[in-house]
Amino acid sequence: MAKRGQRRFKKVLVANRGEIAVRIIQGLQEMGIVTVAVYSDIDRTALHVLMADEAVLLGPAPAAESYLVGDKIIAAALATGADAIHPGYGFLSENGSFSRAVEAAGLVFIGPTAASMEVMGDKLASRRKMRASGVPVVPGTDEAVTDPVVAVGIAEKIGFPVLLKASAGGGGKGMRIVREAAAMASALRQTMGEAGSSFGNDAIFVEKYIEDPKHIEVQVLGDGRGNAIHVFERECSVQRRHQKVIEESPSPSLDADLRARICEAAVQTARSIDYRGAGTVEFILAPDGEFYFLEMNTRLQVEHPVTEVVTGTDLVRAMVLIAQGDGICYRQEDLAQKGWALEFRIYAEDPGRNFAPSIGRIEAMTAPHGPGVRLDTGIYEGFDVPIHYDPMLAKLIVWAEDRPRAIARSVRVLKEFVLHGPGHNVGFHLWALRQPAFLDGTYTTHFVEDEFDPENWLPALDAGQAEALVAATALFEALRRSDVPGAGDQASGIPAHNWRLNALRTMTGNK
Amino acid sequence: MFMKKRYVLSFNGSQHGAVVATRGSESQVRVDEGEMSPVTYRPVLGGKALSLRLNGRLHLIHLTGLDNKGSVQASIGGRTLDLTVMDELRAQALESLGDATGSGTIAADIPGLVVELKVKPGQIVHKGEPVIVVEAMKMQNELTTAITGTVVEICVAAGQPVNPGDKLVVIEPEPGL
Repeated sequence: MAKRGQRRFKKVLVANRGEIAVRIIQGLQEMGIVTVAVYSDIDRTALHVLMADEAVLLGPAPAAESYLVGDKIIAAALATGADAIHPGYGFLSENGSFSRAVEAAGLVFIGPTAASMEVMGDKLASRRKMRASGVPVVPGTDEAVTDPVVAVGIAEKIGFPVLLKASAGGGGKGMRIVREAAAMASALRQTMGEAGSSFGNDAIFVEKYIEDPKHIEVQVLGDGRGNAIHVFERECSVQRRHQKVIEESPSPSLDADLRARICEAAVQTARSIDYRGAGTVEFILAPDGEFYFLEMNTRLQVEHPVTEVVTGTDLVRAMVLIAQGDGICYRQEDLAQKGWALEFRIYAEDPGRNFAPSIGRIEAMTAPHGPGVRLDTGIYEGFDVPIHYDPMLAKLIVWAEDRPRAIARSVRVLKEFVLHGPGHNVGFHLWALRQPAFLDGTYTTHFVEDEFDPENWLPALDAGQAEALVAATALFEALRRSDVPGAGDQASGIPAHNWRLNALRTMTGNK
Repeated sequence: MFMKKRYVLSFNGSQHGAVVATRGSESQVRVDEGEMSPVTYRPVLGGKALSLRLNGRLHLIHLTGLDNKGSVQASIGGRTLDLTVMDELRAQALESLGDATGSGTIAADIPGLVVELKVKPGQIVHKGEPVIVVEAMKMQNELTTAITGTVVEICVAAGQPVNPGDKLVVIEPEPGL
């Protein structure tokens, strides 16, 4: 069936770590492709390494000396005879010079061209490009602004409040809201200073600030030859510290007409740059129902599984097929959203202490099971979560027939998920699922800052649970001190070794 | 005849007492001022959890010991809680003993609240002298210095909660004293 010019990948190197490297390795293995993992000194026992067919050591733990060193990754691919490199997300996934170097080495980069990454990595350039293609952008300037008088003139034309934004910014950095003319001069000076020091580029532009926005994004696939389809939307408005924590698909904020228009705008975006591979076009949705292009992420997203489970697709496989030259493996008219999916990012962090990271050994883990559950994870019991990388431990994706049932199922599934060792945010997710603004779908990107009270977010145990907890913990202590008959006796009928082993492990700390 | 053991627990800032009584394979438990109730338990999931039947209700409770000082993480009904547990004898020993680490650094042994600082920076203290009072499990523990020297650092303030291992007061040895 192979057409002329097509390649068949026999071996692919995955240039990432953690749950996304595991996810990609799983997808490649299902396609019969041999997998090569890369790892840093500290990651020799990380799950992605354990699962791969081959693994290459890159260097010391800091990402700048391992996962971010493009030359070492390309050398590893060449040394192992890989045909292609999948970058995952983060690290080098949106680095144009890396993708150029990969192709210059005679390897295939499973992702977009460097040119696509570069136009979308520059917010001013992408605004101009989108406006020219007829995709709605937030009212504002397409040129860098340095003069506060000019900035005030623009702001008065489009109406205060406005947002000053660094063209090279991202991740919530290099942005400032200006609500009145008097505040413009100092805000502009500060934002330019920040942008210059953080991104090495002090170009700032002005756009209208959308109050109470919702974050809607559309998954797209392009073949690199001007053809593109969408795989529907995700809503990602539950964020803390400008980072998404819960995503869902469909979005509760779109009706059929708005969905059709926003998805079409995303396809238009992808077509206008001959996009190749899987990408995500992000929009902000204003309370009046207007939507505006925000940016395009030229990579596989963290939250891609909600799209996969709600549309029955495999985006990693689609990316590999596109990279092989097979084109897009789905037809637009065959795709539909079925039911409802929610994704919960499980972070090693303490919600009660401003979501501060909490790293350590996974002392115990019991994963949830049952209908509608998918767990993408890079951890296992006994794994030491390194301090050097992102504190995301796992993603829990829950599917059911409709939104209320998906929420009810999520409560059940989150309660089944037990993780001991580092602090984590499973309880935060259960909190979110009790909030009226989440239940009725009216939540905005301000949801967490407006609703979350770090002093009062955990529900009380009921009296029976509190009594059982005290009794069980006393029994735990009694068992490990052999004060009471435990495992191995006739009463329990359970072999002693497991319980004793656990007790021993915990007694000695085993650090 | 039932053999009884008493335990002292603390979580979410409150203290609880538990009595575990056993006779053969039969067990009873009493929590705080409640009734003595029959309890059955099975270690399950490879020793990671207890399946507990108490007052007609089944509970699956994951329990992980984090050190050998009674720090335990427990999960029940989607909640994960940090507890400390020790038998009553150890709790009493801690109370009467106070704590001296043998070095110039005085550290917290159990989670608690700093009640009183008995020294000031620069002050000369003698071996065995009390330097700080930490309240835990409704008991005030006076921590004493194991060495003679000068107080060089006070790392906490009265009213501050502390965790096991937290540095409280640093004393620099003064061989001349």
